[in-house]
Amino acid sequence: MRKLSTLILVILCTSVLSCSQPAREQVQRLDLTEQMKESLVYLDISYCCYEKHQPWKQGNLYKETGYGCAVGEYEVITPAWNVKDARLVEARIYGESEYIPAKIKVVDYESNLCLIELDREAMPQPLKPITFHEDYRKGAEVDFYWLSREGNLHNGRGYLDKAEVKESTGSFAYFLNYILANTSKVEGSGEVNFIGSKAIGIGCWGSSKSKEAGLIPATTINCFLADAKDGDYKGFGIVGFKISYLLDPTKRAYLKMPKELKDGASVSNVYNLGTGSDVLEEEDVILAIDGKTITSRGRFEDPELGPLWFYHLITGKSAGESVVFDLWRDGQRIEVEAEVKNFDVEQMLVPYYEYDHQPEYVVTGGFLFQELTRPYLTEWGKGWSGKVPSYLYNYYRNMAFKPTDERQDIVILSYVLSAKINLGYADLGRIVVSKFNGMPIRSIEDILTAQKLYPDSKYDVIEFELDNPKVVIPREQLPAADALISRNYGIRKLVNVNQ
Amino acid sequence: MKRRIVNYIKRTLATVIAGWVTIAGWGVSQAAEDLGLDKSVVLLKSVRQDFDYDAPWKQGKIIEGISSGFVVEGKRILTNAHNVSNNKYLEVRKENIAKRYPAEVAFVGHDCDLAIITVEDKSFFDDTVPLELGELPKVNTTVSTYGFPVGGRHISVTEGVISRIEMDRYSHSGSDAHLVIQTDAAINPGNSGGPVMQNGKVVGVAFQGLRQAENVGYLIPTTVIRHFLADIGDGKYDGFGSLGVSLYPGLHSESCREYLKMPQGEDGVVVIATMLNSSVESVLQRDDVITRIDDYDIDNDGRVQIYGLRVHFGEVIETKQIGGTVKLTFYRDGNEMQKTVTVALNRPVLDWSREYDREPRYVCFAGMVFVPLTRNFLETWGNDWYTEMPSYLRYLFDNSTELNTDRKLKEYVVVAEVLSDEVNSYCRGIENEVVKSINGVTIRCLDDVYEALKNPAGDFDLIETISDRQIRPIDAEKARARGQLILDKYDIPDEARLEKEL
Repeated sequence: MRKLSTLILVILCTSVLSCSQPAREQVQRLDLTEQMKESLVYLDISYCCYEKHQPWKQGNLYKETGYGCAVGEYEVITPAWNVKDARLVEARIYGESEYIPAKIKVVDYESNLCLIELDREAMPQPLKPITFHEDYRKGAEVDFYWLSREGNLHNGRGYLDKAEVKESTGSFAYFLNYILANTSKVEGSGEVNFIGSKAIGIGCWGSSKSKEAGLIPATTINCFLADAKDGDYKGFGIVGFKISYLLDPTKRAYLKMPKELKDGASVSNVYNLGTGSDVLEEEDVILAIDGKTITSRGRFEDPELGPLWFYHLITGKSAGESVVFDLWRDGQRIEVEAEVKNFDVEQMLVPYYEYDHQPEYVVTGGFLFQELTRPYLTEWGKGWSGKVPSYLYNYYRNMAFKPTDERQDIVILSYVLSAKINLGYADLGRIVVSKFNGMPIRSIEDILTAQKLYPDSKYDVIEFELDNPKVVIPREQLPAADALISRNYGIRKLVNVNQ
Repeated sequence: MKRRIVNYIKRTLATVIAGWVTIAGWGVSQAAEDLGLDKSVVLLKSVRQDFDYDAPWKQGKIIEGISSGFVVEGKRILTNAHNVSNNKYLEVRKENIAKRYPAEVAFVGHDCDLAIITVEDKSFFDDTVPLELGELPKVNTTVSTYGFPVGGRHISVTEGVISRIEMDRYSHSGSDAHLVIQTDAAINPGNSGGPVMQNGKVVGVAFQGLRQAENVGYLIPTTVIRHFLADIGDGKYDGFGSLGVSLYPGLHSESCREYLKMPQGEDGVVVIATMLNSSVESVLQRDDVITRIDDYDIDNDGRVQIYGLRVHFGEVIETKQIGGTVKLTFYRDGNEMQKTVTVALNRPVLDWSREYDREPRYVCFAGMVFVPLTRNFLETWGNDWYTEMPSYLRYLFDNSTELNTDRKLKEYVVVAEVLSDEVNSYCRGIENEVVKSINGVTIRCLDDVYEALKNPAGDFDLIETISDRQIRPIDAEKARARGQLILDKYDIPDEARLEKEL
């Protein structure tokens, strides 16, 4: 009798619980292979980049495989990482063996998205666009599809495990990703992912170790496509500050925060670029962003996605929108509104990447001047952060997001190409230029301006930071020496500066 | 910068050759006896215990070692500093006598890797013969190395040829450079401290080898030995000095020569910078060209002709004691000038030399262990410490001389460790951060930490760090209440060990 009543109680409780949760439509797995034949493309990308320490030289040419899916009759979307430094992009559609010329229409390395336009004339018929649904079902079975190099349609599967804010591949920015667990393929090169019949995102990274793959979710894709539609792409917001956990009750007391105020993360560094950089101050405590409470670990609770890094509240918005920070500052709660901003990587004091263009440089008298960039430093190879000159690394580590009017680039004397004109200076290199002919050097372009100063002077005189010698170059010998250096070292172009 | 990396690599390749070997037995080397060196060359047995720079109240492993030394004038024994550094016990023996003689380190020069040992029982010297110091040997002449290296029980004698004589780094301190003699005589562990002889006189002390090369050994020449012996003449060791100037061989460039208005025919080196608080700070300026030091002409590589050798002009300074003077001739804006300058220690804020024989200092407050930023501390990152240490510490290590503009700054202070306790549960991120101020007091040395912590800022102790620019408040009352408990829990004898007596 007791057993029976327990059973009834369990049945009652179960039905009460199931009634109290919103009913979710049962998603049926579907084989969409046939439909995908009209929507997926294979992308063949030839790419090469310039050598960072000999920036006049192109490196080896490589081939990259990418997958695209139609978002218009002649437009496909793919992760931006696929097309970095692309020299040629060609597409292939199902059932056709010929390549279709393609061109990059919009590329955003922060959100890791790229819109590619296919040559209409070369297309036998338009593609069938896929609509992305902003649907998140934790634990749902996910099927993904791609068109292979051989022209076959493949599919794989995994489970939608969680949503996370992660650093975009090849960029410094943090964006929302969906994470597929136990995935049958870990490549993440643009495969289109479905829950049932609804496309939810495209693959952007994979880890064979954890058998996980990352998706750029529909919410980011749709925002990107809407922005790219009018030809004036503005991009997503980028965070212009850094936070620290605010777990320490003593620090909270020091900041005069009431005991009942348990949330909030501390602003530990305010950049000179990006959202919030113009309104936030170090030691501010961010209590909420757009009304979403920020925890002491810098997270907020998304009703659908669960706890997420605060970054999504900014990188999930388009540039030009506004964002409201609820702050604890100087013992008071205040609210400040800021414009959602982003910036071009070139605006960074030490750019994080330099895709799609030749590094800027000036060779004069055999002295190679370059802009300090992260790719320049990573040329030191594995463990580069411990091998590069610490003075240069400090600029990257602590100053990269802090350009000023006085300092927009860090210009370095990278190397001295030995020649008679620079006799005695051959050991110099990897040092930061401070002045050229007395003019403070704010960017690489300044070198060209400074070379024209004091036309009657016999010399160009270059000064450097730290205890480094002055370099004196005889102007009269420069034309002949530069011609010889150009010939000797095979440098076709001695100056590459985008003025 | 590139030059510095090269220097660093060179430093790591050279290694001291203290012999930590097993004592086996005794015999008499006929060759040594014939030369009478069995009465001069002695064996040292030392017990050392290094310090733990992560947990500075602790001591490291106890290590026994065998090395060599030799008797010099004044009933003293000369050996290498690295044979007797961080020494706990020392005894000496003679070649064919069973008796052990307890000994003491009287003077040690870690910058030149030399030490003087005395033996309390003066009868030790009754049948010894002090060795006489000779001059610099000529290159391509033969020398004999004596000592007690691994592989036998007698005094060992090996012959070799002098390959070169030049300035190089002494790996014991890891930073200081003096004249060095290179030889192809086999110098093995246990040899260090032994005399290297030519024509019956000492021409050097065997002291280090090259790891990646066979039969490349180095000797400390008598120029360095004489400097050391003269230095201790007043009862204390002061060390080798410098001018505290940064130079560049810029006159190889004709245009640089013209720009600096240097007369034709004058060679020299260009001043880049002078060290803060150095002896030449008020004398030399950037772009001065030093052409002569005392009566030695300086060439465009910064070398002078001295002892029949072409070596860096620093060798002239090496002949002076701290407080001695040199006459500098230099050009400024085309005008020749002469000034007398004083040789001084001129050590950078973050000294590249290792410390020995000095108990590491610390302050332990609320479980946070504050220590001076030293090379010894940085080497706690292991064999690859230079690449493995936190980037900001490497930045300071490489550039402290140039970055520091605070005349009063004596040393950087870093939080070495946070000993877990409820008072510091949220302070873990402070490890390896460099301290800027405490309770509003600028920290210029470890003693400042101790003083600043006497006056909390109201309810808090405020610790401000440089690299991450954070202010970390500590509950002042709790920190003091927990202080002794933390010391007891982690078996720390005192809350601080400072320069000054507490």
